Amino acid sequence: MNDDAGNKRGIRKTALILAGVAVFFYLGFILLGVLRA
Amino acid sequence: MSSAVTAANEHDHDHHGPAKGLKRWLYATNHKDIGTMYLVFSGLMFFTGGFMALIIRSELFTPGLQFVAPNFFNQMTTMHALIMVFGAVMPAFVGLANWMIPMMIGAPDMALPRMNNWSFWILPVAFSMLLATLFMPGGAPAGGWTMYPPLVLQTGDAFPFLIFSVHLMGLSSIMGAINVIVTIINMRTPDMTLLKMPMFVWTWLITAYLLIAVMPVLAGAVTMLLTDQFFGTSFFLAAGGGDPVMFQHIFWFFGHPEVYIMILPAFGVVSEIIPTFARKPLFGHDSMVYAASSIAFLSFIVWAHHMFTVGMPLTGQLFFMFATMLIAVPTGVKVFNWTATMWKGAMTFETPMLFSLAFLFLFTIGGFSGLMLAVVSSDIQYHDSYFVVAHFHYVLVPGSIFAIMAAVYYWLPKWTGHMYNEKLGQVHFWLSTIFVNVTFFPMHFLGLAGMPRRIPDYSTQFTDFNSIASIGAIGFGLSQLLFVYVVIQCVRKQGAKASSEVWEHPKGLEWTVPSPAPYHTFNDPPKVAAEVAFS
Repeated sequence: MNDDAGNKRGIRKTALILAGVAVFFYLGFILLGVLRA
Repeated sequence: MSSAVTAANEHDHDHHGPAKGLKRWLYATNHKDIGTMYLVFSGLMFFTGGFMALIIRSELFTPGLQFVAPNFFNQMTTMHALIMVFGAVMPAFVGLANWMIPMMIGAPDMALPRMNNWSFWILPVAFSMLLATLFMPGGAPAGGWTMYPPLVLQTGDAFPFLIFSVHLMGLSSIMGAINVIVTIINMRTPDMTLLKMPMFVWTWLITAYLLIAVMPVLAGAVTMLLTDQFFGTSFFLAAGGGDPVMFQHIFWFFGHPEVYIMILPAFGVVSEIIPTFARKPLFGHDSMVYAASSIAFLSFIVWAHHMFTVGMPLTGQLFFMFATMLIAVPTGVKVFNWTATMWKGAMTFETPMLFSLAFLFLFTIGGFSGLMLAVVSSDIQYHDSYFVVAHFHYVLVPGSIFAIMAAVYYWLPKWTGHMYNEKLGQVHFWLSTIFVNVTFFPMHFLGLAGMPRRIPDYSTQFTDFNSIASIGAIGFGLSQLLFVYVVIQCVRKQGAKASSEVWEHPKGLEWTVPSPAPYHTFNDPPKVAAEVAFS
């Protein structure tokens, strides 16, 4: 099966990293607005 | 081709099928069901946005005000763009990704099926909210899909609904993108190394990275609009020390990669179809991957070409002009590779191939007018004229939308188990191709002659080309009813039975499973035989 325990860990890790990147871009650009305004 | 598949692949487990009734769709976690819902939703949005386009073109059929008030006209241009970009084109490609990516990489489903369900069901909520603004006091948003302040802050009751719906669309896209990346990185069958992946999977992987990088930027920009309107901040309000041009920079930092989000998966679709009907492997598979990656990288450093007229230092203008022109290099690699794939191929011209060829010619026209717009001195003339409208519609309609139609014709037999009506498909192709040019080609002349975009009335010298464009739009809209008829006919299993390969020796794992594709595929990872691999 593809969805063994190791794969599940990999899925969770990749998803969390990507979600973190998205949050970083969101807050980062608002911070840019705060610093610029 | 089926002989190339391992035994593990031949007994796809079909022991638990779909749930019955509404529950199947409401609680869907199966990638095929969710893909179908995305495609149906996208179709509905195509017709909603298309109806708005017809209101616009009816008003512009002759000079003077005919049918709608100017403010309503502006609502139509704004809503048409928002619906087509976020409701039609993007969900259509997500639908194709849901259906095809797991099957192409030998995975049993998307990596995060429940999040997949959530990604989809956010969309109808977001668009119901957006469409509801049409019935509010003051009407729908009318400041353009770019939502530039301070104009957008004059939107009435619709404003918070616009902002919230854009946030929801962004959330849906980000979750969809996370799912695509996680699936491709973690769920490939062990034999499927990265460079063996089909181009559609590759282009979607790159698109998903773009989505994760830029959709939060749009969300950040509209959050700041919201706080400017309701919480007393002055991010973009000059009166409070803010900078309205900063919004344009942030918006286009999202907006230009967004253009590639809508075209890279189209490149992937065409890269699947042309080799099948040219009966040759894709020329330069790896160089296609590098070209798509280069396009994605360059898309981040060209945003200010959308705003040459706001004023910027000469060095800035030169940088953004040359960086934009640089995109022609990897795009050229792609166009030449598709052409080289067809060179001396045993070509046939079924409907998916016809749409792909039209894509190749007509998208290139949109690319060339893009190069013209990249030249600062020329852009100052073309800016906010109908030339720009012609340019981006050539990229998006015979570009993205033709690729979506090509993909539907190409994979429909795999989805339904039946062939579509080839004759009607070809009639649909010719009507679409003729009318798309009748609609959008005259807009180049209108723009060069000085007709501004986003106006409900115009000087009489623009009448002829506007009338021609409106006739084309009505013809294009009606032609799409034929597309719906062909698809429904196929879904209702009225065509001939499709084999597992459907076409003549196509490459890829999706052609190794029966047609229609079983509800569950590749519960055991398949082997990627040489005949199936792409590189």
